[in-house]
Amino acid sequence: MSVFLARRLVALFLTLLGASLAVFLILEVLPGDPATVMLGIGAQEDSLAALRAQLGLDRPAWQRYLVWIWGWFQGDLGNSYAYDEPVIKIILERLRVSLPLALMAITLSTAIGLPLGVLAAARRNSLTDVSVMGFVQVGVAIPNFWFAILMILFFSVFLKVMPAGGFAGWDAGVWPAIKSLILPAVALALPQAAILARVTRSSVLEVMREDYVRTARAKGLTFAAALWRHAVRNALIPVVTIMGLQFSFLLAGTIIIENVFYLPGLGRLIFQAIAQRDVIVVKDVVVLLAGAVVLVNFIVDMSYALLDPRLRGGGHGQ
Amino acid sequence: MALLEVEDLNVTIPTPRGTAHILSDVSFALERGECLGFAGESGCGKSITAMAVMGLLPTTAQATGRIRLDGRDLLAMDEAGLCAIRGRRVAMVFQEPMTALNPVKTIGFQVAEGPRLHLKLSKAEAGRRAVAMLRRVGLPPDRFSPDLYPYQLSGGQRQRVMIAAALACEPDILIADEPTTALDVTIQAQILDLISDVVQETGMALVMITHDLGVIAETAERMMVMYAGRIVESGPTAEVFRHMAHPYTRGLFAAIPGGPEEESRRLATIPGQVPEPIALPPGCAFAGRCARTEDDCRAAVPPAEPVGPGHRVRCLHPHVGAT
Amino acid sequence: MASDGASDGASDGAKEGGLGEVAAKALGNRSFVIGGVLTGVLIVVALVSLVWTPYSVIDMDIAGKLRVPSAAHWFGTDQFGRDVFSMMMVGAQNSIAVSLVAVGVGAGFGVPLGALAAARGGWLDETVMRFNDFAFAFPAVLSAVMITALAGPGAVNSIIAIGIFNIPVFARLTRGGALAIWKREFVMAARVAGKNAVRITVEHILPNVASILIVQATIQFALAILAEAGLSYLGLGTQPPQPSWGKMLNEAQTLMFLAPQLAIFPGVAIVLTVLGLNLLGDGLRDVLDPRLRRLR
Repeated sequence: MSVFLARRLVALFLTLLGASLAVFLILEVLPGDPATVMLGIGAQEDSLAALRAQLGLDRPAWQRYLVWIWGWFQGDLGNSYAYDEPVIKIILERLRVSLPLALMAITLSTAIGLPLGVLAAARRNSLTDVSVMGFVQVGVAIPNFWFAILMILFFSVFLKVMPAGGFAGWDAGVWPAIKSLILPAVALALPQAAILARVTRSSVLEVMREDYVRTARAKGLTFAAALWRHAVRNALIPVVTIMGLQFSFLLAGTIIIENVFYLPGLGRLIFQAIAQRDVIVVKDVVVLLAGAVVLVNFIVDMSYALLDPRLRGGGHGQ
Repeated sequence: MALLEVEDLNVTIPTPRGTAHILSDVSFALERGECLGFAGESGCGKSITAMAVMGLLPTTAQATGRIRLDGRDLLAMDEAGLCAIRGRRVAMVFQEPMTALNPVKTIGFQVAEGPRLHLKLSKAEAGRRAVAMLRRVGLPPDRFSPDLYPYQLSGGQRQRVMIAAALACEPDILIADEPTTALDVTIQAQILDLISDVVQETGMALVMITHDLGVIAETAERMMVMYAGRIVESGPTAEVFRHMAHPYTRGLFAAIPGGPEEESRRLATIPGQVPEPIALPPGCAFAGRCARTEDDCRAAVPPAEPVGPGHRVRCLHPHVGAT
Repeated sequence: MASDGASDGASDGAKEGGLGEVAAKALGNRSFVIGGVLTGVLIVVALVSLVWTPYSVIDMDIAGKLRVPSAAHWFGTDQFGRDVFSMMMVGAQNSIAVSLVAVGVGAGFGVPLGALAAARGGWLDETVMRFNDFAFAFPAVLSAVMITALAGPGAVNSIIAIGIFNIPVFARLTRGGALAIWKREFVMAARVAGKNAVRITVEHILPNVASILIVQATIQFALAILAEAGLSYLGLGTQPPQPSWGKMLNEAQTLMFLAPQLAIFPGVAIVLTVLGLNLLGDGLRDVLDPRLRRLR
């Protein structure tokens, strides 16, 4: 177990290193000079040179890379060119939107996808099953940003019960803040819920064919009890894998969805930073997102051990 | 009144290519404490008979006839009633100990599950009972903690866990479906001995399902031989072994490896194939493979005629005399 | 992400029939027929738009802007007075072109990479697979946003961006399928006969993984349509005045209070297209090889 853990931690570290190197190299070949962007076209050449020296842009690339990485270890992510503020401060501020949004979306998609999948499997070939599979087909075919627009049309334009966009801010109170995240979270959750329902359904169907489910029935458990106590937990293993993979899609989704709803989150931050050539912000946020994806998949791997005792090791008997 | 009476049990499954006749006119009775053996090749219907008694036929299957437990017809019973009987009055041990136990639950949980459900024992009481049952089947708690998971046990040990789980509610009937087939030869005898011991000790009835006539000889007082969904020969084990009347029974006996005849002789096989359940012939299903077939065999299904004390056979031209 | 479809009962091991038998099976498969019709309509519309549209999609008619649907303008007009139906026809052409090339790029690099990894094994295989894992860990749309933003928005760059994250999908699938085929007897026989790895790959491996790849290509095609729409919506894909569905939705959002109907049609078009391709993929899987479902 500890060997497994150590190997995973090394892999996690290497991935982050690779991601940081990749982002750095891509941005290195990027046309466009941050100093020119900051001072505007037509700035004096000597003031541009002074600013470049101040930002450390006159040093060789490998030095700048090492300085940047070293900053991460010290909790100093540099200063944004566009906002002239520490990047760490901007990121923490944006996380106050993106983190609750992601959590709401994951909770929602799990709360919808898992039960629907189990239900469809339990009533295989029934009307319920056919409806769930129909929902799945449509759910994966709808672009989430269009679904978001439709919801805005319905809830904001016609019913006028939800804000059409923007973020009320946590200072305005918890409910207004949550309220401005509800539609975005639903938009993010829909395709995820559809995929989750499909994977759960086929996984549960697979497990229900297992001998031990028949054993449970032979002990006198009802169909529902055998399904719940013996099939669902075993069926969760592939489902959890998919949930881990989905996290990466979720982050990507926030880039679009935060733009649809004009939410000041991380996704919108990176989108704007790329447009503004705010290189340092792009670098930091990309590494942060990649790190989050790798970390989530690490947690997923760990959770297998909870679901499956065979992975906890410690062989007995033979 | 017998403990379990099965009368004219017919099971069919509709398929896209026609109706499959899985069981035809199966009738037998099981007395309290009796050990009954079912023999036949795989697919002959012996496992389906067991599943019918458990009320766990596939949902597409249609069953007619009567299965009476203490006079109550299980085929007419609702699901809740069946759940109360399964595991409590009738328990079952399956062929594959490797897959019949849930890999993510402890063995203690899986043995205690029945008592908690049927006897309404508390978690602690059921746990103590599980330990006692595990000890009874040869898994003492000092070496086999109830907190072990199935993957930590060998095949034979897992089958012991299955038996412990089946015995946990002191059922009246234990159905063992090929309980030793998946095990090593050396382990097989131990598991059979264990089953015989606990059956004698508790006085419950045993239904032993196997393709191995040797197992029948060892465990069953009375036996049924099934072929293509029908009981073709039945009677007291000793009597049937002495005077095997159905050609199929004799074929099955000759197919035992290292049988009593000559150790070195090649394993005898029965020529031909079992007819498919969607295309059963109008006459004797074994007629196509039988050396004694005559025209009348193909006309109608032979009735079960007595050929000895308690000994019946569905054959128009049975073997007579000692085996 | 395969569905195990509605037609589980249909796959009773029958396979390897003649072409006629496959066609008969295809026509009996509901997913295949519905998906095929939807995809067929899309392709016909796109082809027609190459030579004819009801109105020009470039010329503006400010006086006739934001019309509601009518006999003259089936889907109404946009804020510049352009005919929405005509724009959507050209948008179909745009979606297909971008997605087709992007999937082509993904398969063009991914399949040889996967086949090579399977044929050579060892460190090469290891490297390719680690690279794959890395690409999977990276949010795909994020890299697409970066690429298009850095190299400048436009159809070509969105093709590259979408194509790049298709490469690992095809590489992984090809490698997995090829590894299984390499172990088969007829490949052993070919090796014994002295054929080299390239020839075996072309003659034996690729034909045997073709059906999995075709099915996956259909599904990737659907995903590419979604990705292209997303990039265009963000303003990073196809640039005006060339119409694209994503861009139309972006513009519709700003006019939502004035002309909500504009937000409906392009979205419906995307959903029907993606739905059609997904159904076609599911159908193809059942038709080409029922055993594929097991492999997933």
